[in-house]
Amino acid sequence: MDATHLPEVTAAGVIIKAVLILAVVSAIAGFGTYIERKILAFMQRRYGPQHVGPYGLLQLIADGIKLFTKEDIIPQHANKIIFAVAPVITAATAFIALAAVPVFPDFTIPFIDVYVPSIASDINIGILFVLGMMAAGLYGPLLAGMAQANKWGIIGSARTAIQFLSYEVVTGLSILAPIMMVGSLSFVDFNDYQADGTWLVVYQPVAFILFLIAGFAETNRTPFDLLEHEAEVISGYVTEYSGMRWGLFFIGEYANMITIGVIASVVFLGGYNDFWIIPGWLMIIGKIAFSFFFMLWVRAAWPHVRPDQLMWLCWKVLMPLAVINVVITGIVIMLAQ
Amino acid sequence: MGLEQFKNRNVGTQNYKTLDLDHTPVTGMGQFKQVVSRTFKPELFVGLWVTFREMINALFRGKMHTTQYPFEKLPISPRYRAIHEMLRLLESGHYRCIGCGLCEKICISNCITMDTRYDENQRKEVSEYTINFGRCIFCGYCAEVCPELAIVHGPRYETASEQRASFSLFEDMLTPIDKLNLQQEYQGFGAVSPNADENIKKTPLAY
Amino acid sequence: MSEVQTVENMVSITIDGVEYKAKEGEYILNAARANDIFIPAICYLTRCSPTLACRICLVEADGKQVYSCNAKVKEGMEITVSTPDILAERRAMMEVYDVNHPLQCGVCDQSGECELQNYTLELAVDSQSYTIQDTKREATNWSSVLHYDPGLCIVCERCTTVCKDMIGDAAIKTTKRGGASLDKAWKDEMPKDAYAMWNKLQKSVIAPSNGTEHTNCSDCGECVAVCPVGALVSRDFVYTSNAWDLKKIPATCAHCSSGCQIYYETKPASIEDRTEKIFRVTNEWNYVSLCGAGRFGYDFENRTATKDATAFAATIEAFKKAKVINFNSVITNEEALMLQTLKEKLGVKLINREARAFQRFLGFYSEASGQSLYTLDFKEVMASDFVISVGSSLRNDNPNARYAFNNVQKLNKGAGLYFHPVGDTLVPTFGKNIEMFTHKVGHEEAALLFIIKLFADQDKLPDSVKEQLESDFVELLGGDTAKFEKAFEKMMKKKETFSLMVGEDLYFHEKAENLAKLIAVLEASSEVKVAMIPPKTNSLGVALICDLDDEAEGYTIGYNESGDFKLSALGDGDLDMPAMNQQEGTLTNMHKRVTPTNAALEYNGYVLNDIIREVASAPKETIMWTEHLPVSKGFKAVEFDSLPNHYTNDGVEHRGYLLESISREAKEISVDKFDDSNALEGEIAYRCNPQRQFNDFSDKAHQIFEGFGLYASPAKAETLGSKVEVEFANGKLTLDVIVDERMEGDIVAIPDFKSAENIYELFAGSRYQTVTIKEV
Ligand code: SF4
Ligand code: SF4
Ligand code: SF4
Ligand code: SF4
Ligand code: SF4
Ligand code: FES
Repeated sequence: MDATHLPEVTAAGVIIKAVLILAVVSAIAGFGTYIERKILAFMQRRYGPQHVGPYGLLQLIADGIKLFTKEDIIPQHANKIIFAVAPVITAATAFIALAAVPVFPDFTIPFIDVYVPSIASDINIGILFVLGMMAAGLYGPLLAGMAQANKWGIIGSARTAIQFLSYEVVTGLSILAPIMMVGSLSFVDFNDYQADGTWLVVYQPVAFILFLIAGFAETNRTPFDLLEHEAEVISGYVTEYSGMRWGLFFIGEYANMITIGVIASVVFLGGYNDFWIIPGWLMIIGKIAFSFFFMLWVRAAWPHVRPDQLMWLCWKVLMPLAVINVVITGIVIMLAQ
Repeated sequence: MGLEQFKNRNVGTQNYKTLDLDHTPVTGMGQFKQVVSRTFKPELFVGLWVTFREMINALFRGKMHTTQYPFEKLPISPRYRAIHEMLRLLESGHYRCIGCGLCEKICISNCITMDTRYDENQRKEVSEYTINFGRCIFCGYCAEVCPELAIVHGPRYETASEQRASFSLFEDMLTPIDKLNLQQEYQGFGAVSPNADENIKKTPLAY
Repeated sequence: MSEVQTVENMVSITIDGVEYKAKEGEYILNAARANDIFIPAICYLTRCSPTLACRICLVEADGKQVYSCNAKVKEGMEITVSTPDILAERRAMMEVYDVNHPLQCGVCDQSGECELQNYTLELAVDSQSYTIQDTKREATNWSSVLHYDPGLCIVCERCTTVCKDMIGDAAIKTTKRGGASLDKAWKDEMPKDAYAMWNKLQKSVIAPSNGTEHTNCSDCGECVAVCPVGALVSRDFVYTSNAWDLKKIPATCAHCSSGCQIYYETKPASIEDRTEKIFRVTNEWNYVSLCGAGRFGYDFENRTATKDATAFAATIEAFKKAKVINFNSVITNEEALMLQTLKEKLGVKLINREARAFQRFLGFYSEASGQSLYTLDFKEVMASDFVISVGSSLRNDNPNARYAFNNVQKLNKGAGLYFHPVGDTLVPTFGKNIEMFTHKVGHEEAALLFIIKLFADQDKLPDSVKEQLESDFVELLGGDTAKFEKAFEKMMKKKETFSLMVGEDLYFHEKAENLAKLIAVLEASSEVKVAMIPPKTNSLGVALICDLDDEAEGYTIGYNESGDFKLSALGDGDLDMPAMNQQEGTLTNMHKRVTPTNAALEYNGYVLNDIIREVASAPKETIMWTEHLPVSKGFKAVEFDSLPNHYTNDGVEHRGYLLESISREAKEISVDKFDDSNALEGEIAYRCNPQRQFNDFSDKAHQIFEGFGLYASPAKAETLGSKVEVEFANGKLTLDVIVDERMEGDIVAIPDFKSAENIYELFAGSRYQTVTIKEV
């Protein structure tokens, strides 16, 4: 696609896009919980939710009603402001990150003639922005855990600090190699780079795997769900949360899962290029869906690791591998020129 | 008598097997080897495969495991002691209970009560019979003591109720007369033993 | 059977190698029981004659097989309870009893306390060797209370025996069963006694002895009590409860002055109504016999009572201004003491007609005799062999007096004299040696003089008596002199102990003082000793405890009686009071015994003690008065809770304690001259209750059917019509005429059990009144 042919991006378009993302992603996040329950159930040969609405589809609404109507409890000794703000940080950063991610193909709303871009804000340092935003999201759990005056919360936030910080390094380093290859930080460029049909994962398998592992850790998914691992720390940083505040954390988590899925698809898995006869938008949805499914699948199959194992893996295995990968990539690029 | 026998808390012979578990490597080399072997063993993928396979089994091969409890129930052992039932005589349809009061007497939670009277046919009529399921501990003594195989345990095991006392009346427990053909003989406590005939001494009859 | 066992009349016997002491002349079975040795026995009833129906009591005595219920102990007798032969006999007997016995323990009312069950288990009968074709035997109702199921009957004859030997009705007897006859082959095959027993058993069932379907008896229910199996049950009780569900509350029957030992048996009324209800009354039938009122008249409790504070406040007010308390003898000793306390502290007058009459009579008697109480108790009467009754309608007044009179005839080969103006067809049937004098009303003194003439040592008599003995009393009292003399000679044969029972007629007699003196004279000069029948439940206790007044006026509080303010245990007064089955306390009975009674049913209202506490002072509980009963009158200072209430195996009564008789100097006796013109003439009414009716409480009970009406002999009733108006000097009554089959003569009986009818007022201090009766 040639950039010059694109209509002008108006403020209205961006706002519409933002609202659209917000609506759709939070819907998807909610729907994600349904999907998660269903998939996990199937993998354990159970039915999962099935009584509210057809196939249990309206479970989502039931849960929503429940979350909205539940009493909002703030513990007596909590730092109330921070306690209240923390979930918002998580949710907000997750959505802000999505601003720089191409979520749907672009389109023009008929009659009023407003152009809605694929990316709400196609800043040319998209990847950096997304990663930065996601990293900023760690303040959510961190502050939440510390604000709630609960020992499990404290442990949860301590874990947040080490886990998110450590894996930030791996994420960054692992994605550095593709960036070096593409030579841009813009998602559009990544997409275009793979327009020939050869996905970056072919060149950068190690980086892909590292990114994936780090992605699990950053989204706090099994096997790295240490922040709130029920069997160990009650509910970690969300111990004292209930109702909608608790819900916000989860919307954030699921939004992040989608973000990771989007990054993985765009950076490594060929982006929204058409494939054979399959149109690009379908491709990207398929890819995101698969990566989402993969996260659930992993949750169904694998046990979680201990915090020390997590650190060990990060600093002794993944980080060196990532560095080596960057170095090798650099050398190869250098030699190829 | 010493207390030794009370201090030995081993019940029966213990046949524990010790599993041959890996030992945590202590040397650096050992640890390295472990990492390598674990890295290259496809264990993780086996895990993924297993869960995926089960999903396929569940969805497409009809191997869903769930019993949809309130709608579907698993059969329970015939000896299970659930909510009581009052059986009828198969031939006449008359209730079996003769009002002997043995169940009332034996009940250790004192939850059976009955009213009896002399009826028009000069028989003892059980005019009312209740069990307070709020107190019943489902010990099965009543079923065991009943000489008529009248009070038995049925298969209904939902015992939750809105109040602590929950009385079941004679009518509630009695086999509905139109379901008489479905009435099952109880096999648990108090049922006739399979070799009962062997243990009976015959009484001579003059005619 | 005196309770004192002297060393002289004891013999030594050996049972199964162990030596025991036994009373001379006692049956082996009783001797064994007294020593807590178990000998199986079904048909024998203590206090009745052995029937030898069951034969299971076989033992070996000095090498011979004897029936222990019928063989007397001898010095040095060696007894073996079980030998192999005897065991074989007993087992065969139990098997025989089980032949064709319906397998219905599951529904049977006797299950759990059935002797057939017990002995079948005791003798480990687990198989049956005998068989015979069964006969159809249908259950029937013999009377308004009796239900007989011959299918269950083992023909032990306990019911017929008790009815004959104790109750005196002899209303039931064994009769032909009409079943298959025994195969002669059994005779050689089975033990001898078992065969003989079976032979008899197979031929008989029990039936009313009057040949009809109905017993027409006293409906005392004693046959029901003694029946070892479920054959005889009260109609009301059939299939309503199992023995083991009932809680036994030991008590004292509060209907008459016999003060019988009873158990109120209670359990919750039904599934819906969980308040305790009395299902039946039982007794220790080997040692005490009840009447129909005691056995069936138990549901007279005050059910609706609550703690009504306004009514209570009104009561306190009423007591503060009360001048008189009008009460009756259905009251415990403790309550009587409370009322006496009230009299002492507040100066109220106490009115209790029947107790006052008795008190006066007893007073005259003790003045003349020097004893505060009459000499005999009724157990001693029962043990005597010559019994005389004066001034009491034996069949109606007091069941225990009647049982004693009858039992003396049956068990002690005794004789009896019965003096009463109202003719009775039952009393002569008690025995062969009974002479009945249906004398004129007013000739009671003549009766006593006659007795003095018959029994007294003439030398010991004061002149005032001696000079009156010349007349021909037999003629005067309505007998035939020549016939009587012959009969009396026979009656006196081999007689050692003589007893006289006197009743209410004398207490309410114009010449009560003279009569009391004559009794004292008789006792002082002869072997005849006297026992008195207190008119109502606790009349003796009230007479001893309370200082009663003859007349009183002013604001009256009625306690179960009429008054300006009424306390009532019937639930119809201004303040509720507990009925006797809701109270604890003690009663003084005619055996001069103070017996405890317990509350069988819940009572939620105020009790007399609460009132006394407000108006005078009182301890916390009613029973705390027990230890303060007047020792000077023969009571003992013992706490209620330490009073025993049971019988031991040797038949000794351990219920409460016996009153002490206090002796003092006797006065010189001088009696008035008997004036035979005092006799009442014309239409005469007698204040007398039907059997099983004593007071409002027996009337309230649902199984007591005897109504309030004019009781008359069949012949008299014929002349009266169905409803009459009876006119007294001071009032009128309209009554239904009820035929009493066993009454004779023209005197009619008017009951006093309904206090509301004020019968005492109409009779004006006497038991007999001339009346005019008109049919309406
Ligand atoms: S099961 Fe046990 S507790 Fe329950 S009614 Fe029967 S005897 Fe009583
Ligand atoms: S034991 Fe059986 S026959 Fe007897 S009362 Fe109970 S249920 Fe009826
Ligand atoms: S009379 Fe005794 S043995 Fe006969 S059915 Fe009744 S309880 Fe059983
Ligand atoms: S009715 Fe009872 S007491 Fe009378 S003979 Fe029969 S079994 Fe004996
Ligand atoms: S109720 Fe009394 S009087 Fe009548 S038959 Fe029985 S024992 Fe005899
Ligand atoms: S008790 Fe002696 S014969 Fe029955």
